[in-house]
Amino acid sequence: MHHFVRHPFVPVVALLLAASAQAQTFVFKGGERWEINDPLKMDTTAIPPKPATPDPKKGIINAVKGTIDRTTMQGGIEVGLTRKLSEVVDIAWPMPARLTEAQNNVNRGEPGKALDNAEAVLRLFEPMKTISGSWWTKASLIKLDALDRLENDAATASFLDAFEKEEVAKLPAVATQIQLARLMQRARKGDHEAVIAEATELITKIDSSEIQARLHIVKGNSLFAAKKYEAAMNAYLRVPVFFGAEVEHVPKALLGAARSFRGMDSPALKEQKLEAISNRYLYDIIVTFPVSKEAEEAKKLLPKEERAKAEADQKKIAEGGPLPEGVIMAKPKLRPEEAVEGNK
Amino acid sequence: MLIQESRTYKLAKAALIAVLIAVTPVVAHLRAQTKPLPTAEQKEDPLSVLYKEAEKSLDAKKYKEALAQYEELEKKALEVELKLKAVISFRKASCYYFMRDWPKAETELTAFLTKYPKGTEDFFDADNRRGIAELTLIEVLSSQAKFDAALARLEKIRTNTLARPEDRVNAFTLSAKIVSDRAKNAPDDVRKAALAQAIGLLKQATAEGINTPERREAANKLVELYTKLGLTKEASQLKSEIDAKSSGSPAEVVRSNTQRLEIGDARFAAAEQAADETIRANFYREALTNYQGTLRRLNLTTSFTKAIEAKQAEHAALVKANAKPNPEQAANIEKAKLEVEQFKKYEADFTANKDYDAFVSYRIGLCLLELKRPWEAYVAFKDIFENSPNFSRLAGAYYYYITALRQIGRNTEAQSKCKEFLGKFPNADEVSAIGLMLGDISQAQEDYPEAIKHFTWVRDNVKSLTPETAEEIDFRIAACLFSQVDWAPAQKAFDAFLKKYERSPVRQQVLYMSALCQFFQGKYKETKIAFDLYQTEYPKGQFLPDVQYRQAIVLFGTNPPDIPATLKLCEQWLKDYEKDRTDEVINQMPEVYTLIGDANIRLADEIDKRIKAADLDVRLNSKSPDKAKFVAIKTKLETEKAVLIGKAIDAYEAAAKSARTNPQALEFVLGELKKMLPGRGDHKRMRDLFKEIFDWNHNDPKAMTYLYEVIRSTERMGDMPEFGQRAEKSQKAFSGKLAEARKKVDELERRDKVTKDEVDAGKAAVAKLSTELKVELDKVEADRQTSISDQKKRALKILSDAVSESINDRTQEGTEKLIAFLAEKLSRKVKRVKPGAKPLPGAYTSENAEAEMTKLLRLEEHRDSLVAQARGFFALGQLAALNREPEKTALYFSKIAANYKAEELSPTILAMVGDSLLTKGDYKKAGEYFGYILEHGRSSEYADFAFAGLAEIQFADKKYKEALSLCNEAIDNNILMSKELDLRFIRARCLAEMQKYPEAKKEFEEIAKTKEWRGEKTAASLYWLGLMAERQATDEKGYNEAVAYYRRCYLTWKKYESWSAKSYLSAAKLFAGKLNQKDAAKQLLKEMLEKDRIKDTREGTEAKALILTL
Repeated sequence: MHHFVRHPFVPVVALLLAASAQAQTFVFKGGERWEINDPLKMDTTAIPPKPATPDPKKGIINAVKGTIDRTTMQGGIEVGLTRKLSEVVDIAWPMPARLTEAQNNVNRGEPGKALDNAEAVLRLFEPMKTISGSWWTKASLIKLDALDRLENDAATASFLDAFEKEEVAKLPAVATQIQLARLMQRARKGDHEAVIAEATELITKIDSSEIQARLHIVKGNSLFAAKKYEAAMNAYLRVPVFFGAEVEHVPKALLGAARSFRGMDSPALKEQKLEAISNRYLYDIIVTFPVSKEAEEAKKLLPKEERAKAEADQKKIAEGGPLPEGVIMAKPKLRPEEAVEGNK
Repeated sequence: MLIQESRTYKLAKAALIAVLIAVTPVVAHLRAQTKPLPTAEQKEDPLSVLYKEAEKSLDAKKYKEALAQYEELEKKALEVELKLKAVISFRKASCYYFMRDWPKAETELTAFLTKYPKGTEDFFDADNRRGIAELTLIEVLSSQAKFDAALARLEKIRTNTLARPEDRVNAFTLSAKIVSDRAKNAPDDVRKAALAQAIGLLKQATAEGINTPERREAANKLVELYTKLGLTKEASQLKSEIDAKSSGSPAEVVRSNTQRLEIGDARFAAAEQAADETIRANFYREALTNYQGTLRRLNLTTSFTKAIEAKQAEHAALVKANAKPNPEQAANIEKAKLEVEQFKKYEADFTANKDYDAFVSYRIGLCLLELKRPWEAYVAFKDIFENSPNFSRLAGAYYYYITALRQIGRNTEAQSKCKEFLGKFPNADEVSAIGLMLGDISQAQEDYPEAIKHFTWVRDNVKSLTPETAEEIDFRIAACLFSQVDWAPAQKAFDAFLKKYERSPVRQQVLYMSALCQFFQGKYKETKIAFDLYQTEYPKGQFLPDVQYRQAIVLFGTNPPDIPATLKLCEQWLKDYEKDRTDEVINQMPEVYTLIGDANIRLADEIDKRIKAADLDVRLNSKSPDKAKFVAIKTKLETEKAVLIGKAIDAYEAAAKSARTNPQALEFVLGELKKMLPGRGDHKRMRDLFKEIFDWNHNDPKAMTYLYEVIRSTERMGDMPEFGQRAEKSQKAFSGKLAEARKKVDELERRDKVTKDEVDAGKAAVAKLSTELKVELDKVEADRQTSISDQKKRALKILSDAVSESINDRTQEGTEKLIAFLAEKLSRKVKRVKPGAKPLPGAYTSENAEAEMTKLLRLEEHRDSLVAQARGFFALGQLAALNREPEKTALYFSKIAANYKAEELSPTILAMVGDSLLTKGDYKKAGEYFGYILEHGRSSEYADFAFAGLAEIQFADKKYKEALSLCNEAIDNNILMSKELDLRFIRARCLAEMQKYPEAKKEFEEIAKTKEWRGEKTAASLYWLGLMAERQATDEKGYNEAVAYYRRCYLTWKKYESWSAKSYLSAAKLFAGKLNQKDAAKQLLKEMLEKDRIKDTREGTEAKALILTL
């Protein structure tokens, strides 16, 4: 009450937030719907943050027993209800915050943290991995990304072997992701010619913009490693040119392009000012994607005078300043999970 | 803004929208018209038969026939239920509607709505068709421009709370359509107001969400209106919402894509009209984002396939679940079947449009070109060539692709693409533009014959040339002939042009250039006539300054030259254009001054002849009383000549000082002044002039040359003519006295009675005078030396200033050159002594040079600058190298390595220090430095150091493949400035180690036989050739071949003891082992150990051990 008096607006805001947030719901055979407490939700007001106090009206997942337990009032009497997780036929669950964080961790080059966050989601949805609306597959793919960033081939291979045995691995989109991950492993082993050939072929068959973007980057990486800088530049630049909406891949591609331009450079091509072009891409990364692993890489690659300028410009843009000439600020696409119907 | 692009862009846009609209569904108003009449099926009476036939005709879109059948039915079915009469009325109205007979449709629909308050009741289904009749009537009214009546009816529906929700939503949508259609041709403000009103109506239609098809239709219309009004943000947001609700039907997918493209197009169009650069760039960015968000063919095809499969499954499920369907179920099955067919049609229509992806790439490419991202645009257009080679707008794509190639500086590739285009599309609209571009690239690259070839080809082969283009081509051909100094053909071409295009906008220029052709052919008479014509036609013409200048040259060039008139014209020119600051006049100014200089030189040359004659007269009359007269004449002439030369020098100097933008004139006059000024001892003037020119731009490629002249002149300034004069004066002053004293001594010695004392006294007097003279001369010399030393100090100060100016800027590669120059200067001052010997007291030592270098670089002033401090060490290292103190060089370079990160150093220092580290075996640090050059300075003059250095490190690490790859990269890309030999040598060794012997042998032999490379690497190559032969040998012949190579090495290249020693030892081992010639081995080893330079090497030690075993 004391708090209410001091901050009369707080409960109203909370109410509004609660109303706008999408509830976690399980749908059982027969159409019965239960709202569920999000076990990953943290009470961030506590120091250190602790798991949020469950809402007694909502169901609680008991992972050990494989059940969902819920207490309800029937005729003034508190009645405990239990349903098995195996009875869930549909899940309406907005993207878990930890999964979003895991994705951000990957983008920021924090694969260890990404793994922690993805694992939490994987554990939660493990018993319901094949059910519509489950985040298990997405979490697996992010884990795959994190492992790739760690460049731990043994762990990646082991995870891929297990993942391939899952039912979801038969889904075309997931199968392609696995194929892509295998391709990346081969690239790391130096099998560049084969990777280039396979990626080129896959690009013509894949309809997902995201995977296309990834494939171009994988192809670019192998071309770069094979010192085919011009071709690598072409592969990398296709990402910002055609898949600019795939924001999380654009910085990688720009960095690859910047490196390729440097590779292409020679005294004979001095007039083309390829190093300046390369630096321009590095500048773009710092200005447009300041919180990314690639921005850190770009800072290392940029001569220190230009690095200082890029950082200063980035601050100006962050404060609402105009974009410098020629910068293409990629507009984030509306992610499926951000769409009105959530993950359905 | 790319004007040419905009035109092509519009064509492209129109084509794409047409394709996409063709596959967008038309909203059907008469749904379920194919549903059979249940009662008719039961009673096969004539009326039923007639009704069925009418329905069949309607279904087959034979509206006239159907109408006649319904009319016949109406006549015959007088005694039927009211709802059946309503059905016939509704069907008749439908026929009129489809036949677009708006008045009759209006009458029939009004009758239906008036006569049948319950409509068709339950005849078709639960819908009594009154709602649809109402909406159709409204549309019919609207089609007849009866907007008010239509809107009044719509308002009734909208406000009727009892009306079906879908009908009310449709009423809002239709109202919005009518409101906007009504204002289609109205003035802008009215139209905008109408669109705003329509938006208001559509917002009401979508106020409760977009969950039904009707509401989504309204939302789609709203997106279109937002786009029309440029409210792209709102359009994009709503579109995202619609997409999220999409059922995934092909119609919706295509529509969604169309909208995205339209939003992009709207932004692109807005960008083209925006005056503000920032706003324009933002619009292009937004357009690009929309285009990038458009689904590509592969995505669309997949979504079509999925939608069709889902619909087919739905149809199959319905068929399976309703084996004996009732009429309603049958209708549902039929509906599902129709939808499957409709989906397939969309897919087929889309598949037929092969250009879809290419058009998206095309639009993306255009945005990127406008956003000044030519590399990305290049990638976008390249995609069209790679993936849509049959694109209908391929010609346009070529144009922009070539434009992008030009913008990224790939002119050769651009030309090759131009040629490819001209070969493939000789009749395309873009032929003339691309042909012109082809010639233009050659012209810009100064390849005039090629340019003329291309222009001529376009003129002769392109049928659709516009008159303006044809004229431009003729002009360009003539201009190219002019540029390649083909004066006669150029003049002919210009004259023909003037005849052909009397009123050409470039007439003035052509007239002028034609006159220039005469001028450059030396036809001065004709030139004057041509320039006079120009001046008459264009008394205030743009080329007048040049014409007047050339007129002066004509006077100068005619035989005999009219020099006074030339000078007069030049003076007049300078007066006329004194205050004119146009580029042309500024450029012309040094040329006019140069002409004045030349004219004065010519006058001086004329006087020179007279001086020679006067000199002859003086000599012929050397003993005559007239000698003085002739001497006076000669002196006068010499004075006149000196005055003229002085004027010429003044004019050349003025030319040089005004020639900042005219490098050719500058080069010429500086050349002349370099010949004249030093000879006259005018070093100060020379120094001041070059200093002024050097100060124009220290980064100019020639700045170093100018600085060199400044330094040299400054140094020479020390040796002033006054010292010579003083010495001469002293010598003159003493020569008389000395002669007299010597004469006196002679006389004394000839006398008979002279004492020794007298003679000695005379001699002493001579000696005294000589000593006095020597003292005088020494004093002059001392003053001279002091002056020279002072000036040398000043020169060093100038050099020091120049270095100090850029010493903090890491990117200035020229600074190291200046430092090297400075080091060279200081090194020359050092008095060298033999190793171990002490320098003379007071001698300028290398330590003094180091101290002076530190002072000159002003390192104290630049204490906070990392690169300046590093350059300090570099300078000391360079100085030590010049002073032949390699240990010191290594020491200073190692200080750099210990204290500086690669990013703090310039490529030159990185390369030099890296090389030093490599020699010392510090591969880690050397690798870091070389790696940085490869990452950041591949275009540096020192890039080859990095390739060679890294390759050497990899080789030492036995990573032969990696080392080979680095060498190949450098060699293939011609990055071989000063390390070609090293790179080729490492490559050869890598090949050898990888057992690619034939290739390695070729490489080593190439090195061994190249004269320019004769030296250590030749010796090394011979040794390696021997080593390879040895490794491959299987018999005596093979081993002998190896021995032959070793022998060539140790016999020819004794001075490279390491290779010589290796060769000796290897050969001896072969003799002792494989060839079983122990005596020969022993003898060879003895010979080897007799060599002083070899006996103490590692191989020498091994040889000593080996000899004991033999």
